[in-house]
Amino acid sequence: MFLHNFIYALKILCKNKVLIFWTFAFPIILGTLFNLAFSNISNSEKLDVIDIAVAGENINSNFKESIDILSNKDNSDKLFNTKYVTLNEAKKLLDDEKIVGYIYNEKIVVKKSGIEQTIFKYVVDEINSKINMSSSIFQAEISKEIENGNYNINYELINKKVNDQLNTKVSLNDTSNKNLDYVMIEFYTLIAMACLYGSLLSMTCLNNIMPNMSNEGKRLSISKTKKVSLILSNLCASYLVQLVGLLILFTYTIFALHVNYGSNLIYIILLSLAGSLAGLSLGVVVSIKFKVGENAKIGILIGIVMFWCFLSGMMGITMKYIVDKNIPILNKINPANMITDGFYSLYYYDTLDRYLLNVISLIVFSLLLLVISILNLRRQKYDSI
Amino acid sequence: MKKVIEVNNLTKEYKGVKAVDDLSFDVNEGEILGLLGPNGSGKSTTINSILSLLNYKSGNIKIFGKKMDTNAYDIKSKIGVVFQDVAVFDELTVYENIDYFCGLYITDKNKRKQYVSDALDLVGLKEFTKFRPKQLSGGLLRRLNIACGIAHKPKLIFLDEPTVAVDPQSRNNILDGIKKLRDNGATIVYTTHYMEEVEILCDRVIIIDKGKIIATGTVDELKNLSNIKEKVTVEVLDLSDKYIEEIMSLKNVDSVIYQNNELFVTYKKGKNNIVEMIDYFKNKRINYSKIFVERPTLNDVFLELTGKELRD
Repeated sequence: MFLHNFIYALKILCKNKVLIFWTFAFPIILGTLFNLAFSNISNSEKLDVIDIAVAGENINSNFKESIDILSNKDNSDKLFNTKYVTLNEAKKLLDDEKIVGYIYNEKIVVKKSGIEQTIFKYVVDEINSKINMSSSIFQAEISKEIENGNYNINYELINKKVNDQLNTKVSLNDTSNKNLDYVMIEFYTLIAMACLYGSLLSMTCLNNIMPNMSNEGKRLSISKTKKVSLILSNLCASYLVQLVGLLILFTYTIFALHVNYGSNLIYIILLSLAGSLAGLSLGVVVSIKFKVGENAKIGILIGIVMFWCFLSGMMGITMKYIVDKNIPILNKINPANMITDGFYSLYYYDTLDRYLLNVISLIVFSLLLLVISILNLRRQKYDSI
Repeated sequence: MKKVIEVNNLTKEYKGVKAVDDLSFDVNEGEILGLLGPNGSGKSTTINSILSLLNYKSGNIKIFGKKMDTNAYDIKSKIGVVFQDVAVFDELTVYENIDYFCGLYITDKNKRKQYVSDALDLVGLKEFTKFRPKQLSGGLLRRLNIACGIAHKPKLIFLDEPTVAVDPQSRNNILDGIKKLRDNGATIVYTTHYMEEVEILCDRVIIIDKGKIIATGTVDELKNLSNIKEKVTVEVLDLSDKYIEEIMSLKNVDSVIYQNNELFVTYKKGKNNIVEMIDYFKNKRINYSKIFVERPTLNDVFLELTGKELRD
């Protein structure tokens, strides 16, 4: 009976053109567009070195060191052409539009807004934030040593501790020894979107078998097939279709678009499974909790998924930074970000801590939604159908 | 006679309004029971309550002698339902739809193949097995809906308005199919607001209005409830008031209405009243184009009992 339901659920899903478009075709189309739009971004970014100035004499040594690294002509990722000048000279350079902006007292001064100004501001903010953070951690570590009665402080050890802590706290562009490719983030969000679009499949399956949601559901619910068997067979079918869609997307992006997701295949599969589970549970909960028609539910799911992907950087990596910086909790509970960040950490970090945190977060997210759904699915009769 | 369904004091409320009000009835083995009533009278709610799809406020429901509830899978295995709304998957072909629903009951593949073939024969869809539901006309779609509900050869079948919005040819086909199901031994509960179907099909009829049973019996028993025994209709041109008054005074005549060159005469008693009417026209040398007699319909019964038409 399970197999019979499973096979027919597969047939129903695979012949649903709307679902196939959103779960199979749309991510591939979007991936192709990403590839066309962003394929040369990395190279072109390297050419856009920003002219800036640093004004004044009392410059924090850590701050100066960071600026110097980003202005080093030997650095392949050189970001700034930096001049050290007086405040008046800086003002004049800015008025003459010879520089995008200048830094004075670790703050930036710009004349107008634009992409270069935004990058300049963001990088300086990040440097300041990093310096403040390291300073706070350093002070805290010293205080801890003194409180413990250890006055013979090993600064080298504390320095290492500070670096370790920073490495676990920083967000996107800090600790990797690999080149940061912003286009990769776009593809990570694309995978996240494909995982979460699986919600359309599970939502449709649930709609098909619940008596209060469809006529077919009424017919199925008066059959001698047990509800749990119906639900499980349908969800298994939707999960399988979702994974096949994901496999096609991976194959297409790897072989046709030459996207490199790294070599940790097992971890990529594990993350994809967890991400797809999150998609499945999202579809189930939307199917049960929203008392609207199937097309409206499709609209709701697409809206939710696209919003989450937007927050995790699909329409511009800056959004991910902004959310990480201002409302970090939003990205912590955003499954699209968990998937994106999981791929990111798998690719850029040598340790699995952050990756595993994302996988576990996805599983917890999924289980939470599934528990909410099961509480509703246990219901056997309805007031109206 | 063995009772297949026993419904006792069934009451179902929607937001304080009684959709089914203290309904009690039985369905005997092998009969076609008609639930007749206008739209919104509580027919479908009664069916859905019996099937344990709906919560109900009070009452007891037994099917095949056992209490019906959502987990009564042994009872469910013997039931087939054809819902008012078409319940098939657009993504599957005609054959696949029937096979899918039949497969929920019949696991043996060969047996199922035969059952699906029998169902296709019964509803006359043999030529359309590879069609998708969207490629079928309204009538054919209804037939598919029926096939999906009865392919597993259930002992008890609920047919909830299966002929709504169906062309006459498909309707006849569907009604013939239902008779065959009864002939094969199935017990059928048939809800409709088409009195003609009830008269053709049903062994016994329950008339429902506003969730209450207002009359029950065979078609003849129900018709006997009517005060009208016969209706005579005459197509005649320019009948003067004088003649109408004379007709009114004829034996057994209860009422006379003349409109659009048609004369409607009702009789409260007597048989073959049409003979006297023909004699009257002959004696008065009045020419008429058509004259016929009818027995009261279930609609007349319903009209007398509730003051409204069945299809209001």
